[in-house]
Amino acid sequence: MFRFQSLDEDCTLEEEEGLVEEEDEIDQFNDDTFGAGAIDDDWQEEHARLAELDEQVRDGEVSVPPTVAPAAAASSPQPSAPPPGLEERGGGDLAESLARLILGTDPAIAGVGAAGLPKRAELPPQHKTLSEALPARPPLLLGYQQQHLRMGTAPLQVNSRSIWDSIGFGPVGVTPGLGPHMEDSSLLSIIKEVGLPKQPPPMRSDERRDLSERVPPPRSSSPVIGSPPVRAVPIGTPPKQPLSHMLNQQIHCPTAVHVRAPIPHRYAHPFPDRLSPNTLLNITNSPLCRPPFPGGVGPVLSQLQRAQLLSSQVGAFPRAGPVPPLLPGGGGGFRPFFGQHPPRVGPHIPPNHGPIRHNTTHLHPQHRRLLTQRLQSRGDRGGRGCERRIRDPYSNLMTQREKDWVARIQMMQLQSTDPYLDDYYYQNYYEKMEKKQERDRDSSSKKEHTTKLITPQVAKLEHTYRPVQFAGSLGKLTVSSVNNPRKMIDAVVTTRSDDEEKREKQVWNKRRQILYTVEKMYSLLLEVQDFEKKFIQTPEEQRDALLDQHKNHTIQLYNTLREKEWDDRVSDEQCLMIMSVRKGKRLVSRLLSFLPPPQAAAVVMAIARNLPALAKKDKQDQVLCWLVEPVSVVVQSLSSSALTDLLQELQGSEGQLPRVLQNKFGVTLLYLILSEGERMQSSDANCQLMDDNRWTELVFSVTRKLLEVPPASLSPPLFTPPNLLSLFSRYVDRQRLELLQEKLQISALSR
Amino acid sequence: MNYMPGTASLIEDIDKKHLVLLRDGRTLIGFLRSIDQFANLVLHQTVERIHVGKKYGDIPRGIFIVRGENVVLLGEIDLEKENDTVLQQVSIEEILEEQRLQQQAKQEMEKAKTQALKLRGLSIPRVDMLDEY
Repeated sequence: MFRFQSLDEDCTLEEEEGLVEEEDEIDQFNDDTFGAGAIDDDWQEEHARLAELDEQVRDGEVSVPPTVAPAAAASSPQPSAPPPGLEERGGGDLAESLARLILGTDPAIAGVGAAGLPKRAELPPQHKTLSEALPARPPLLLGYQQQHLRMGTAPLQVNSRSIWDSIGFGPVGVTPGLGPHMEDSSLLSIIKEVGLPKQPPPMRSDERRDLSERVPPPRSSSPVIGSPPVRAVPIGTPPKQPLSHMLNQQIHCPTAVHVRAPIPHRYAHPFPDRLSPNTLLNITNSPLCRPPFPGGVGPVLSQLQRAQLLSSQVGAFPRAGPVPPLLPGGGGGFRPFFGQHPPRVGPHIPPNHGPIRHNTTHLHPQHRRLLTQRLQSRGDRGGRGCERRIRDPYSNLMTQREKDWVARIQMMQLQSTDPYLDDYYYQNYYEKMEKKQERDRDSSSKKEHTTKLITPQVAKLEHTYRPVQFAGSLGKLTVSSVNNPRKMIDAVVTTRSDDEEKREKQVWNKRRQILYTVEKMYSLLLEVQDFEKKFIQTPEEQRDALLDQHKNHTIQLYNTLREKEWDDRVSDEQCLMIMSVRKGKRLVSRLLSFLPPPQAAAVVMAIARNLPALAKKDKQDQVLCWLVEPVSVVVQSLSSSALTDLLQELQGSEGQLPRVLQNKFGVTLLYLILSEGERMQSSDANCQLMDDNRWTELVFSVTRKLLEVPPASLSPPLFTPPNLLSLFSRYVDRQRLELLQEKLQISALSR
Repeated sequence: MNYMPGTASLIEDIDKKHLVLLRDGRTLIGFLRSIDQFANLVLHQTVERIHVGKKYGDIPRGIFIVRGENVVLLGEIDLEKENDTVLQQVSIEEILEEQRLQQQAKQEMEKAKTQALKLRGLSIPRVDMLDEY
């Protein structure tokens, strides 16, 4: 609302400013937008002219049949008839003369409707009277002739059209001579009988094209600027009557072969602009417009019979009783409508009623045959019953084309890509029938043509919607429509293959197993740790038992660590497994203190052996250092040979030591070993450490490695034992010693 | 049957007199002039017939366009048998009066019923009032 107001203000402002140029510009824009027809002056003039013309015509029509129709519908006054428009007069004269000629010769018609006829004849729509004159012809020919007649009056039409053209109407879609005829005539006849209904001026009887085409009132459109072309017929309207169908009346029986429609049906757009049932009808109807009935079906009654009926019906129709008249303003019942060729209704079989469509439904041929038989029988019966329907002036308001159009829509809905899914029982029934027929045929050995149902396969189109994606943008644009509803969630299904699953499972299983073992050991360990307390608490008698229990526990604990076959060797695997878990490391550290010395030593050996692996596994946890204390205790209790062994183990394979050195625990352990060795040497004169060269060699290699290893990969130990320097001084020369000192940051003061 | 073999279609019913029952309970009788794919109907010279007991009355309504979804059922009227009925036709005023009385009686009965139920602590909601809360 505000916007509009502001616009107004703008305009007024401009006007107030009094800029003449701007006004001119506005006018020019006006013209461009609305076309030349929007200029005030012309429009008003035109309107006045047209209104005048209207009145004249209307007066001309209405004045004629005042007796026939009640005045209810006669909206315009009925003065003495001024001469109608020039064009109408000319046409009317022709009609009049023709009508008189024909009617005069036909006594039947003249006798019945003499009273009302002459007046009717004066009316401008001439084709109506001419249709009266040709009652005996088959309806098709009648139509054809009517078309010709209309063409004959083309000048009339051209003239009348010119009125509308001058305003600049676009393609209102009027072509001379074209247009429906039957239905028009019925409408016109209705109007004549009933009188003109209260309608706006354009709905004149001679503007039959408006009535039949049902075009929305034309808009003025400017061809200059390229406003969209005025669509004569809105997209969704039912079809008009084309002439071609009327003329194309070859009749033959339907074949058993299924004919596929030449046009592929696009289900995504049931009725797009280009492919509408109208166009479908147009294109596919001509070859397929084969009504299944033989012979030319003419009107059922002869002229005489009809006339007789009429007279009888005039009295019969008005209803008995206090029933108000059904016709608007009518005198009750149907107006006898004679002369008009019988409109086609219902089972009265006109030749151009819809054929069975081969292309849209795949009926089983037997089914089709049944239907046609049924239809024929009904047709025979219906022919008798149609007499009273002949006189329905309102019949066929829905044109044949429109009926076909609706039928077509409905049949398109019947098409299926999967007949077994959609119509299971139908398929099955006919299959059984086929089989039975074959059986019968075989038994009787007759050469009968059994027709099989060949279903045309309608292609199943998969429309996968690919959302529009611009490169480099986040997300996807979704323009959702009926055919591709919006994808709300982009759920990606991640399915693991079986192998992967198995592997993962295995891994998890193993871990679980380790944890389980650890837990068990823990419980044992706790028992062991609590032993002392228990021991104190238990009375004397049971102490032995407790002791035994204790022993058992410890044995058990050790058993879990060691290998199955060998008693004294600790299972590396097991150790590793347990140590791979954080809890396991903790466990081991606690365990070590409780194990008997040889077994503890074995465990430490195992640790030393597998230190790199342990170190790798420990990366996440970093808890190896828990082990330092108990390990140091163990180390200190080791014998010299054991110690040497341990050092050897630590060095292990080639390249192990550097890795060991990388790890904090490893370095610490190394130092522990070395310091222990030193202590042994320095304290105990006759220690066996020097008995064989192993210790010396090992220490040498260690020192070498220590010197080689770059400082970066040497991790600082937890603590540096003080006697390392003295150890090194024993084995290396001064130079190297200093280097070592520097590297390892062993201060001389920490002796 | 021409057009829609094996299916039901209204095309053959065009231009015939039909009785149409609507969802709101009205009964229309008229000539079926036009249809479309939704079974929207164009009825011509339509008459609304009100039935009360054995009496009925016709109100002429003219042209109806009925939206397809509002049709309960429709059927062709056999013109020969049309007047062959035990029902008695009365005037419009009379039938409207009868209808009013009928509605009134119905409402009173309904009221009494709900009252009785209320006394017993039950409440059966009326179908038309279900969505009101």
